[in-house]
Amino acid sequence: MTVPSQAKGNKILVLATESCAYPGADSVGQAHSTYPTNVYILRVKAPVLFPERFYLDCFRKGIAGIIVMSCGEECPYDGAYHALARRLDRVYQAMKAQGMDIRRLRLTAICTVCNRAFLNEVNQMNELVQKPAAGEPGQENG
Amino acid sequence: MTQAKEKEKQHATKVGVYICHCGGNISDHVDVEAVRRRLEKVPGVAVARTNMFMCSDPGQELIAEDLKNGVVDRVVVASCAPSLHETTFRNAIRRAGANPYIYEHANIREQVSWVHHGAAATEKAATLVEAAAAKAGLLRPLTPIRVTAARHATVIGGGVAGLSAARDLADRGIPVTLVEKSPCLGGQLARLDRIAPTGERAPELVRALADAVLNHPHITVFTDAQVIATDGYIGNFKLTVRQEVASEAFTGTEACYIPFSGMRPAGPSPSEPREFNLETGAIVVATGFRSYEPRQGEYGFGDFASVITLPTLIRKMAEQDTEGSFLEIDGRRIRSVAMIHCVGSRQIPGIHPEDASGRLNEYCSRTCCTATLNAACRIRETHPGTRVYELYRDIRTYGRGQEELYEQAARDGVVFLRFEPDQAPEVVRADPTDGYPLKIRVTDTLTFSENLEVPADLVVLSTGMEPNDVSDLVEMMKLPVGVDRFLLEVHPKLRPVEMPVGGIFVAGTCQAPFDVGETCNAAGAAAVKAASLLAEGHVELDPFVAEVDAERCKGSGACVEACLNPGALALVEMQIGGQTVRRAQVTPALCLGCGACVAVCPENAIDVCGMTLSQYEAMVDAIVADQVAADALR
Repeated sequence: MTVPSQAKGNKILVLATESCAYPGADSVGQAHSTYPTNVYILRVKAPVLFPERFYLDCFRKGIAGIIVMSCGEECPYDGAYHALARRLDRVYQAMKAQGMDIRRLRLTAICTVCNRAFLNEVNQMNELVQKPAAGEPGQENG
Repeated sequence: MTQAKEKEKQHATKVGVYICHCGGNISDHVDVEAVRRRLEKVPGVAVARTNMFMCSDPGQELIAEDLKNGVVDRVVVASCAPSLHETTFRNAIRRAGANPYIYEHANIREQVSWVHHGAAATEKAATLVEAAAAKAGLLRPLTPIRVTAARHATVIGGGVAGLSAARDLADRGIPVTLVEKSPCLGGQLARLDRIAPTGERAPELVRALADAVLNHPHITVFTDAQVIATDGYIGNFKLTVRQEVASEAFTGTEACYIPFSGMRPAGPSPSEPREFNLETGAIVVATGFRSYEPRQGEYGFGDFASVITLPTLIRKMAEQDTEGSFLEIDGRRIRSVAMIHCVGSRQIPGIHPEDASGRLNEYCSRTCCTATLNAACRIRETHPGTRVYELYRDIRTYGRGQEELYEQAARDGVVFLRFEPDQAPEVVRADPTDGYPLKIRVTDTLTFSENLEVPADLVVLSTGMEPNDVSDLVEMMKLPVGVDRFLLEVHPKLRPVEMPVGGIFVAGTCQAPFDVGETCNAAGAAAVKAASLLAEGHVELDPFVAEVDAERCKGSGACVEACLNPGALALVEMQIGGQTVRRAQVTPALCLGCGACVAVCPENAIDVCGMTLSQYEAMVDAIVADQVAADALR
């Protein structure tokens, strides 16, 4: 099914690894650092679980941006990070083919105490999804 | 399962939603009553309740009563981070006689009330609880994986961490095999003399520990030995060990201590290499560190014989062990010694050159400041005529009694000079008229960047720690390694001595730079974890592992190919509908539960129990539900 090139809302989905990024998000909370309320964090063991279609379905359902917050090179599952990166490459290809702004999907590594990096990521994505033109064809290489 | 069937199943369950005030931590910013009222109306939610502290006994009792009375059969608690109380609520459910895996947690404190305020916080909290309820509706009872466990542990490495862990395990009645690569026990501790800050003698510590291990009836020690192959899983590992012929023949009938090598167990060693198998339930990896070897020309190392490392100084001082006005090294009187900190540690990209493999040691080795100050104080104490200069970037004397050592060094007349990383001291040959073989040029920030020259008979490089090369074990056991090349635990605070592979623990300086006390702490923790794992003769594992739907599976093998832990998934022949077919089969004890297999199955025939793809999809549906409803009204 084709995904609408423009998001319906401004909700941001964060797939946060239970070993690194999810406790990292908790650490941001413990510091009482505020960030946009449209950020929804799901705890995952390893984002390598999600097939390409999961991301496209999320966009189709109305998710404006997805940040995959992984453990990066420090992933406790040897080989999972590289498999994930290859998979997201394929998602980017599909997004491009459908005229979507590939900035709406971002892969990043967040550790358990990466408060500043977490805030940067969600704020940048929020800035992107708030722009009325976000997701329109032609934006994908921006 | 079709979408319609999923929905049907979701709504057939009775989800209980329990929302915590957290004494105001949540309810000061989230209108928890409004959340409760909204959740009450969600299809599939049987009851929604609030409590001031859901983790309190009365709070847990609310859940237990509803379960016992059949009001609910799935549970969502909306409260603090799951790391704090997920286990608490699973246990409450278990005590109520229900399956603990019918539970889902909504984090509305750290991820809502502590970061958002006002109506938006309430709206987000309600949405997150709706998402959790949507997932809970699809949860099903799971059975922990029970595997028999060999009542035996293997410790790899015979340094202080390995010796401590082996002794602690054996003291709890667990038979232990200790495998040490070198001919001696004691590791790097055996290469030290007096331990900072207490001044204890390292050889005595090594002797005491090694004696306890060698004389323990439950411990078998193999030196000159390495693990060369591993197989199996938690409780049931199979190791192949190869023991080499000792490089130096030793036929002593009693163990003996060799200074700066360690404790040599009683001989004789085998006359030819041999390999043997071990069946073991748990493994403690305690492979230790090596001291950084400065590269040729680094602060004059290799260019000048008078430039040595701190471990070399410690050894030479211990072997000399004389007192006199001046320190003597290799027969030379040392009037002035300059000690340079942070050699091979805290390296900065763009300033320090990478090693042959393109790596930098960006971490602090933590123990070298104290070790250097300890040596400086010792020199000043035993050879007061020798002047000591310490050239440092920052002094990091963390830990009990260590700051006092810094103060003592200052009182004892040690001269401190501080340099910036991009203005590293330069060690050069002195002019013949200077009267010293070497001098160090340094821009000292303590004197507002004055350019100084320090005369030196001896330059000591305070070298940091690097993990021993255990790439063979890393490859065999699938151990994660950090960017700093030290082994990476599951979680630095919550599970600090566990590897992600069940049944494998990590202890000591193979994990990070530690001092001796910290190493023993880590070893003790690893030993207790391993002992408690093996105490029952079987182990129970969380059932969050892959599960194959044999009806859907077509035997494509894509999951086997994607699997990150060889052996966890295999295509096997089985009988289905009277026909022999090949289908994927999971070995639960080997499965990491990462889900790499889930994403690649063309038939959607494999999922991770407790975190299925359809459960995540249901959560996303709940998150976007308001947008979908708004669209419908347009």
